[in-house]
Amino acid sequence: MNRVAVALCAALALAGLGASAGLVLPARWRSAAVGAATVAAGVAGAVAGAAAVSGTGWQVRVAGLLPLAGVTLAVDALAGWFLLLVGGVAAVVGVYTVGYTGRTGRGPAARGALALLPLFVAAMLLVPVAGSVSTFLLAWELMAVTSLLLVLSEHRHSPAVRTAGLWYAAMTQAGFVVILLGLAWLAAAVGGESFAAVRAGAAELSPLVSSGVFLLCMAGFASKAGAVPLHPWLPRAHAEAPSHVSALMSAAMVKLGVYGIVRVAFDLLGGGPRWWWLLLGAVGAVSALYGILQAAVATDLKRLLAFSTSENIGLILLGLAAAGLLAAAGQLAGAGAALAAAFLHTANHAGFKALLFCGAGSVLHATGTRDLDQLGGLSRRMPVTTGLVTVGALGAAALPPGNGFVSEWLLLQALLHQVPAGGTVLTIAAPVAVAVVALTAGVGVATFVKALGTGFLARPRSAAAAAAIESPPTMLAGMGLAAAVCTGLAVVPTVAAPALDRIATGLRVESAPLHGSGIDLRLAGIASSISPLWIAVGVVGIAVGFAAVARAAGRPRRRARAWDCGDGPLTARMEYTATSFAEPLQRVFEDVLAPEQDVDVTHSAESAYLVRAVEYRRRLPDRVESRLYRPVIVAADAVGRAACRLATGSVHRYLAYMLTALVAVLVAGVLR
Amino acid sequence: MPVEPLPAAAGLGGSVQVRHVDAGSCNGCEIELGQAFSPVYDAERHGVRLVASPRHADVLTVTGPVTVNMAGPLRKTYEAMPEPRLVVAVGDCARDCGMFAGGYGVHGPVATVVPVDLQVPGCPPEPAAIVSALRRLSGR
Ligand code: SF4
Repeated sequence: MNRVAVALCAALALAGLGASAGLVLPARWRSAAVGAATVAAGVAGAVAGAAAVSGTGWQVRVAGLLPLAGVTLAVDALAGWFLLLVGGVAAVVGVYTVGYTGRTGRGPAARGALALLPLFVAAMLLVPVAGSVSTFLLAWELMAVTSLLLVLSEHRHSPAVRTAGLWYAAMTQAGFVVILLGLAWLAAAVGGESFAAVRAGAAELSPLVSSGVFLLCMAGFASKAGAVPLHPWLPRAHAEAPSHVSALMSAAMVKLGVYGIVRVAFDLLGGGPRWWWLLLGAVGAVSALYGILQAAVATDLKRLLAFSTSENIGLILLGLAAAGLLAAAGQLAGAGAALAAAFLHTANHAGFKALLFCGAGSVLHATGTRDLDQLGGLSRRMPVTTGLVTVGALGAAALPPGNGFVSEWLLLQALLHQVPAGGTVLTIAAPVAVAVVALTAGVGVATFVKALGTGFLARPRSAAAAAAIESPPTMLAGMGLAAAVCTGLAVVPTVAAPALDRIATGLRVESAPLHGSGIDLRLAGIASSISPLWIAVGVVGIAVGFAAVARAAGRPRRRARAWDCGDGPLTARMEYTATSFAEPLQRVFEDVLAPEQDVDVTHSAESAYLVRAVEYRRRLPDRVESRLYRPVIVAADAVGRAACRLATGSVHRYLAYMLTALVAVLVAGVLR
Repeated sequence: MPVEPLPAAAGLGGSVQVRHVDAGSCNGCEIELGQAFSPVYDAERHGVRLVASPRHADVLTVTGPVTVNMAGPLRKTYEAMPEPRLVVAVGDCARDCGMFAGGYGVHGPVATVVPVDLQVPGCPPEPAAIVSALRRLSGR
């Protein structure tokens, strides 16, 4: 029997088992059981994905499961990649969940919240394997609803959770509606709703239909992926959700937005005109830049990570756009490389973001705060967590030997090696994209230096941070697994080369971009290669070599304590905080970020020249949200209030409405 | 012109990072110190460099009689330096309080606060004298 089928069914069954365990078991066993089931389901999903990317396909149609259309599942290499990704993330997060939710039985460890976790994983596994429009929409909605309920796990805890839930609910449902419209339109236009039928009929679609479908689907999927300007739910939901849920959402769920774009634009519609890709590229560039700028000035650790998700999604979309644009210009080698970069980055981001969100959860677990200004000094108190988070931060900063570096290097290669023959648009767009990637990478380094430096190093800036203790072993084990995956992806990303080749071929980007990569990552058709393994060996070798030479030379180590300018004793108030570290960046990008700052100076009663106290306040509102969404919300609110006047509670009035409606229908019927 | 190297400075390997503390000088010595690092005397060509933090320094130059207010900061500066560390007392005031001896705000010469390894006499000492003292530390 087909390996994919077995593994996939096992994953779904295990998830169901986990959900029922969450419902029936007492609080003492609940977390462990649900965590174990999630791990098992994740592993099974990943096995199915691994089988699929290595060439095993599977298709099935179960007619009776859904009314009218039935359920269609179809697994190809593309679906396999995302199965692998979701499964891997679920396995890692499952281990972490056991320790994180604990045995309290409240909040994220409550019956419902735990039971939903494996269901959420199952829904995410179903999205990429859906083989028809109706199945896809069902899985998508299942994923949206379960994730929304999980975001609300701690709704009793703070009103911010409820606001976040509201934003997420509104935006994810709006996204669902546009995807529904787009896919329904597509299915109606080709006269069949299975993906195979759509694929076959897509060539005859009029440009109006295919472009309309592309725009609708792109809007929906980009909002799920957290691309700017459709992102405002993301920093709220990621920040307020329990950390294991944030990790699942950021590392796995938003990737399915990327999956949706690839599936519809590349696979079902079979590519499109240049302006599609320019639009997608513009969205990607804006997401990357705006996301990383907001992350750079954020002081809430989880908000920082959330905005960094927007940034990484931006880079992935930029890669996809480059692939589409290059393919449209006939430069298939470049297109393949860009596609490989985008896909590799989905995996890399999943690895380091799962790790970082779990790390943020551990910090929250240990200190009760996510405010970087209140943290510090954790490297002494939580040494293992700090070490693991460093691995994640290295990946997120895209510095070698971190894993983010490899995919960003690939993306840059694809953009740099486009040939001038591609036409004016490409000749202009590619260098702009290169500049965007470079600026993003630069600000990204500052962002993660800030997150790690002010959050974990130096001295604690609050009593809570000073009292932090190391996380329980299961949490460390979960993060350790994620760190191991990150390291693997950083050192031997070439293991993904055959899978990426198969995906590129499957998407009719007619080339195997990484064909023949052994230890080196070699780009077919582009004279460039990189060997992440040797880079890692080199970097570590240089560091170790220096230490060894210094020791062999017999120079004694000179110790100097931190200098307090003679004004000691040294206090935590003298440290860089997240706010002060980001201040220069905030100043440089003042026009984009538009910070609201207040300085209140209180003078002494005796003299106006003597200052008694200075108070500094800074707020960094999300500008896109306040400019783009506030007016809509205010207008919707006004319409709602106006509509209230229609329903006054008077029965006579309601009877009059009914009569008017009846007459209107009759008149319409007669006139027709 | 060769100099006679100070044995205590042998561990510095010919590269000397200097932090300066004005412990109460009239600033005459500072002017001459400034000249010692000017293009005319150019102490840097002998491997001597001024740095901005005691953490980075091998050598502390101190001028002036140590005033009551500067005794603490001078000690802290010295303590903040990594070992091995050396102190050069620049000017007559630093050596024996010079013309300020017995002043109500004067704590005492530099040697009463931190151990002194080398002295540069003069009120103020000539830049050339300062340079040749620093050269004894770098050995160049
Ligand atoms: S030695 Fe002379 S020049 Fe130097 S500080 Fe004392 S009085 Fe001033």
